[in-house]
Amino acid sequence: MKRTLLVMLSICVVVIPITQIAAQDAFPNRPITIVAPFPPGGVADLTARPVAAAMEKILKNPVVVVNKTGAAGAVGMSFVANSKPDGYTLLMALSSISIIPEADKLFDRKPAYTIDQLVPLALISADPTILVVPASSPWKSVKDFVADAKKRPEQISYSSSGIYGTLHMAMEMLSHAAGIKLKHVPYGGASPALTAVLGGHQEALASGPAVVIPHIKGGKLRPLAGWGAKRVAALPDVATFKELGYDIEFYIWAGMFAPKGTPEPVLKKLRDALGQTVQQADFKDAMTKMETPIAYMDQPEFQKFWEKDARMLAEAIKRIGRIEEPK
Amino acid sequence: MLETLQNLYVGFSVALSPTVLLYAIVGCVIGTLVGVLPGIGPLAGISLLLPASFGMDATSAIVLLAGIYYGAMYGGSTTSILMRIPGEAASVMTCIDGYAMTRLGRGGPALAIAAVGSYVAGTASVVALMLLAPPLASFALRFGPPEYFALLLLGLLALAYMSGGAITKALAMASLGLLLGMIGIDPMTGFFRFHYGLVELGDGIGIVPVAVGLFGLSEILLTAGQEKPPEVIKPRLADLLPSRQEWRDSTWPIARGTVLGFLIGIIPGSAHIISSFVSYAVERRISRHPERFGHGAIEGVAGPESANNSATSGAFVPMLALGVPSGPIPAVMLAALMVHGISPGPLLIQQQPQLFWGFIASMYVGNLVLLILNLPLVGLFVNILRVPYPLLYPAILVFCVLGVYAVNGSVVDVWIMLVMGALGYVLRKFDFETAPIVLGVVLAPMLEMSFRQSLAMSSGSYAIFFQRPIAATMLAGGVALLSLSLLPLLTRGMDWRRALGLSSSSEPEKEDEK
Repeated sequence: MKRTLLVMLSICVVVIPITQIAAQDAFPNRPITIVAPFPPGGVADLTARPVAAAMEKILKNPVVVVNKTGAAGAVGMSFVANSKPDGYTLLMALSSISIIPEADKLFDRKPAYTIDQLVPLALISADPTILVVPASSPWKSVKDFVADAKKRPEQISYSSSGIYGTLHMAMEMLSHAAGIKLKHVPYGGASPALTAVLGGHQEALASGPAVVIPHIKGGKLRPLAGWGAKRVAALPDVATFKELGYDIEFYIWAGMFAPKGTPEPVLKKLRDALGQTVQQADFKDAMTKMETPIAYMDQPEFQKFWEKDARMLAEAIKRIGRIEEPK
Repeated sequence: MLETLQNLYVGFSVALSPTVLLYAIVGCVIGTLVGVLPGIGPLAGISLLLPASFGMDATSAIVLLAGIYYGAMYGGSTTSILMRIPGEAASVMTCIDGYAMTRLGRGGPALAIAAVGSYVAGTASVVALMLLAPPLASFALRFGPPEYFALLLLGLLALAYMSGGAITKALAMASLGLLLGMIGIDPMTGFFRFHYGLVELGDGIGIVPVAVGLFGLSEILLTAGQEKPPEVIKPRLADLLPSRQEWRDSTWPIARGTVLGFLIGIIPGSAHIISSFVSYAVERRISRHPERFGHGAIEGVAGPESANNSATSGAFVPMLALGVPSGPIPAVMLAALMVHGISPGPLLIQQQPQLFWGFIASMYVGNLVLLILNLPLVGLFVNILRVPYPLLYPAILVFCVLGVYAVNGSVVDVWIMLVMGALGYVLRKFDFETAPIVLGVVLAPMLEMSFRQSLAMSSGSYAIFFQRPIAATMLAGGVALLSLSLLPLLTRGMDWRRALGLSSSSEPEKEDEK
């Protein structure tokens, strides 16, 4: 009995370090997990799946998408931020990654994670939000909208995906730039927010092109302007706020992240794999079907983009501050 | 009409093509399994299979996913009836009378009625979906926050008819449920409430762990606490089919459940869970023998089970006619369409007739498949009861833990289930009904959201609930219902005073009665 134990122990002592060395030698040698912090069918999930499929072929190892949802994405994001930095647990995050720690700060909460716990790998897509109003609405242009909002402060209502959510941020940036005050009615997600505008219960909404274009084509919604630096390809007649003289830019983006501390060679390998991913025909095809243009940026560029975006969002959150409901 | 028939012909030629038919059957089988397993509901099942559907063509994908959705509604009743464990959240109401029927040796008929009711409701509601989708969808869109709040309030008033016991006890339980539903991020200000440092509580406590804990676990604990082990019920073949009386008693509840479920299903945001609660309350209210409810009334199985099935078809109305998801499950299905390059929107029916009509036809086929699948299974499932309790109950416990864990992959959910199981045990020892807690937990977040959204819209003026016609009508209906349920309470109070020879004029005592 004692001898068997001894033999087993010595096997462990000898074998385990060998496998560990092997693991460091050849990344990856086991399945990689991409955590999507939102439910299946959401933007993060739908972007992560074609990415996973393409990376699988490039890295010759299974790449699995896992949905870890909860608390507006905080559960999944803090899971990756606090996981072992070995390159086997990655994150497909959206713009909200920079919002959650700021909101935590605002409420003096212990943050679920901080953004410096994560390193960016690559930006996959970035879609500007579009300002839409019901087709029956009197506003034909941003000028009409802003003029009316100035006449009736806090009277015009807009729906959003939730308090401090991305769609809320877009409208807050517009309100600030145009010097208007709007009435914010948050909903539990981007779909109910859209439904509310289609039903005529709220008067405006900022949302992604893929979401609003079918309803613009169906004659139910009217686009007023977009938040992008350039016009959206599918909506060539819709001006950008920049063209109209408002210095605002906002994108709903999806990018890949790894926990901080991941070894540099592993990061390099992952970045290369992502660079190849966006070139693959299958991947391009999948993104075209979802009407989401690919906006690939490698780490250095993405890092800059992310820092600017995070700073902008942090300012917006500070401007909004804590919400005090009228008593 | 002729056009509809022509379209339907096209639809059936799509639905009966071998591939699509195969996927419909596969979907129904998976759905039944997902429904039978406690914890894992249709949302989890569809989410798991969504990636697998990416490789199929759009019609097959949507047919497969829809099969899981309505298949789960069939399967959900099984464990509710046999073991008092809701297979998925919409089967909570079935637990009450379904399980009582099993204790009386009528588990087989309950399962059979649930399957037949689901079939009738499923098929009838597809007819409604086919003929009425566009006009109904635009009606559904008129439900804004104030209307939704009024509807939920109406649902809450259904409580008065829900439990067999004292109304004060039911109200106390509902309040507890509503309080539990307050846990999580405040939807209007972003504050975390009652989270005790757990990020997982940010979204509030899930309905699945609460329902499985309060119903399933508490039942297992109660059985374990009995002095004598309960007798193993040996079902006889003759007892598998409903009697003529049971058929007759079920006819109208099935019809009413179908209509109610469909109407509630189309309203965006509302869930099939509510449809089953409302159906149960209606059946109890109009029954000539309300006292039978809770003790094995077949109406209490037939109504809710039909309602939750036709609510699934109802949920497809805004999704197909307008491209607007009416809840999380249609949202996932819309995503499945988007992955195939089909943009869901108001033009879907015109642009994708093959898909729409193929989908409709596949639902006729799927419901038939489910009936054929489920009726013979009744005999099989009932035999599970032959397994002795020392073996059966630990196995169920394992399935409960696995199922609840599988939904979000969260250990916190398992703990919530265990705590709820203990709570359910204590409450039932004190003769409290647990269904109102589940209703409270379901309704609280929606009720709060729509209430505060309404007030945000009106800048704090309560008049908004009375100025909008649909909301005002529903609130008036609610007040009428409430006064109807309070009436016997007042008259009973007077009787009691008369019996004691007291005058009925003393005011404080009247207050106590209320």
